[in-house]
Amino acid sequence: MQARPGRSDTGIGSQNAPASSFGLRWLWEYAQDIPRPYVLDCGPIRSATLNVLLGRSGRLYRGDLISPLKRPELWDRTRKTPVFRTELLLAELPSVAPSSLSIVFCWQLLDLLPREALADVLLQIHKLMETGAVLFCLLREPRLETGADCLWQLDGLTGLTRTHDGMAAFPYPALSNREIDRLLPTGSVKTFLTRSGWREVLVVK
Amino acid sequence: MADVTPRPPAPSSGQASSTLGRSMSIKGELSAKEDLVIEGQFEGTIDVAENTVTVGPQGQVKSEIRARQVIVHGSVNGKISAREKIDIRRTGNVTGDLQAAGVAIEDGAYFKGSIEILREGRAESAQARPAVSQRAS
Repeated sequence: MQARPGRSDTGIGSQNAPASSFGLRWLWEYAQDIPRPYVLDCGPIRSATLNVLLGRSGRLYRGDLISPLKRPELWDRTRKTPVFRTELLLAELPSVAPSSLSIVFCWQLLDLLPREALADVLLQIHKLMETGAVLFCLLREPRLETGADCLWQLDGLTGLTRTHDGMAAFPYPALSNREIDRLLPTGSVKTFLTRSGWREVLVVK
Repeated sequence: MADVTPRPPAPSSGQASSTLGRSMSIKGELSAKEDLVIEGQFEGTIDVAENTVTVGPQGQVKSEIRARQVIVHGSVNGKISAREKIDIRRTGNVTGDLQAAGVAIEDGAYFKGSIEILREGRAESAQARPAVSQRAS
């Protein structure tokens, strides 16, 4: 697998300023031959995103893996060192047939996951994707220290907006493309840099 | 202080409606030719194909719902089919698969499941999807 940084450099829109996303443009161009793709949205519910995806997808699956990360019960604190209960988080995924999804939006999920859960979560999502399917992620650059609590939404197929910049510090070190690449059994990673400190990372299975 | 308890809207069709009250708990099959408001607990199947089902903020439904329109302020666990629209409001909590001509989910609601939009009177079948060919990135 290869990490391929894209040449594009666009800002990602902050509140009230949707920006055209190079990553999303690439995604929808790539998926243009799939009339009604099966899509999974793993982020908090945003009605704007829902409207966009419902217009394009044949079936839209939803299961929020980001909001539950704030729940204390996701940590087993009976042990000396708290253990993240990945199985409880994965229970938030809807019932999806393996190898059936064409597109998955996981937004900034990977930046917020405890590192010990990354491999299991990525593998589970990977299993649900058909060959050629695309996983769309937003990963922060190491220089971006706050923004863990920001919310993303689609404003049109290629319009990407942060509803606010977010003040919360990121809980874990920034992920490199190589780390993502290493965690996946098959696929390739495509990256679009932006001026906002976020990378649009697309993993093609 | 103003009462800010969310209340379900009155059924929109102007037709007669029935209400399952907060203290009521029913299991079974329910069919009707009038709008239905559920404030209590219901488990089974609901078929009001030509009318609106409204699940109030306190309503808890473990059921398959078939209706013209479904509005959810409370909790639903089960498949929902609506000829027109499914509307999950901010306080709504839905786990199940939705099938309708239109679906709206407010920010803040909880929904886990799938959504299939009925286009031109029928849902597109999974078999109609062409295989995806693998491409180089």
